Amino acid sequence: MSGLEKTTEWVYRGIWGVLTNWFRVPSEPPALPLAPGEHLQSFRPSEGFLRYLKFRFWVLLFVVDIALLIAWLGITAASFLIGLWLAPLALAVIVLPDIVAYAAIHLRYDTTWYVLTHRSLRIRRGIWVIHETTITFENIQNISLESGPLERWFGIANVIVDTAGGSQEKSSHGKPKENFHRGIIEGIDHPDEIRDLILNRLRQSRSSGLGDEHTTAPAWGTQHVAILRDIRDSLRQP
Amino acid sequence: MAQPVNALNNFNPGELERPDSSLLKYYALISLLTGPGIVVMFLPLFFKYETLRYKFEDDGMSMSWGILFRHEIHLTYRRIQDIHLSRNLIQRWLGLATLSIQTAAGSASPEMNIEGILKPEQLRDYLYSKMRGARSLGEDGEQHPHDEALTLLREIRDLLRKRS
Repeated sequence: MSGLEKTTEWVYRGIWGVLTNWFRVPSEPPALPLAPGEHLQSFRPSEGFLRYLKFRFWVLLFVVDIALLIAWLGITAASFLIGLWLAPLALAVIVLPDIVAYAAIHLRYDTTWYVLTHRSLRIRRGIWVIHETTITFENIQNISLESGPLERWFGIANVIVDTAGGSQEKSSHGKPKENFHRGIIEGIDHPDEIRDLILNRLRQSRSSGLGDEHTTAPAWGTQHVAILRDIRDSLRQP
Repeated sequence: MAQPVNALNNFNPGELERPDSSLLKYYALISLLTGPGIVVMFLPLFFKYETLRYKFEDDGMSMSWGILFRHEIHLTYRRIQDIHLSRNLIQRWLGLATLSIQTAAGSASPEMNIEGILKPEQLRDYLYSKMRGARSLGEDGEQHPHDEALTLLREIRDLLRKRS
């Protein structure tokens, strides 16, 4: 491990210490109540998701910094003195947000947790506002898998589960508000496994996932039909 | 760590009727953050805090608040679609959380926002255990101890057989 990596690691641990102690960010994964005999699996997005976020970040950084550099060079060409004065400022504008953004990516990755049991899933996300969503598989209406070309390159995909009633309202800025009827399992490398797990549970469920009870009037099954046939037969032969 | 379902038994949500007093602190703090808007922000929140009542029963819950505009919401646990627990920085410091309950109604915003509960995780897990699908899938289907139609049919068949 190089010196730089060690320093980064050390600084990052420090940030985590502050977060857990002062900002009360839980460092352990969320739990779910378990029935006896059940086990729980908790996981984070895959490493590929981190690489994907970083890659997007580097591309954006490159574009923005080149633009800033060109602007600064333009000013310097117009007036060397102003350019010289602006140099520290330009350097700060170019470098500082990058460090913050880089730390934010790691923190985002480290604070995202997915917990699955046989019956439900729980998703935790966020640093300033920690958001935890709990959905039972019984209530899921549909599952979709999404991945863009870049995400496929990094071998990751998003599994999106929707529950009933989901309408996405647009806020006044045109930016879609958070959809409460949706759980997004972002950036995982085994989406098929998760999809199959949830789909299996969905197939076993006989209800529509709208709060209907299983305790409806018992339908007539094969046993009933067999006896009815017996009754008909015994009526036929006088 | 993961707690088993029956560990929740010693948590009694029926005792929860009023929000904790730290909710008022939280309301005061978020009003403070708006700066000059504090009076406009704080007064309605103060009255909301004063009139907020919760009622947790065996199969459903309700909450009500308001002086000028009364609000009352009732829902049954079985119809809960998903549960969201969100905590911002101030709420975490005060040990509070916003517990949002969603039913299958078409609105994108949550049907019920429970605020000012000191043990939000326990309440959430209680609601979760009452939610549909949280217990075994077969459990509800096996609730008819005897099938009356089947017994009746069997009796009719046997009577007919005896007569013939």
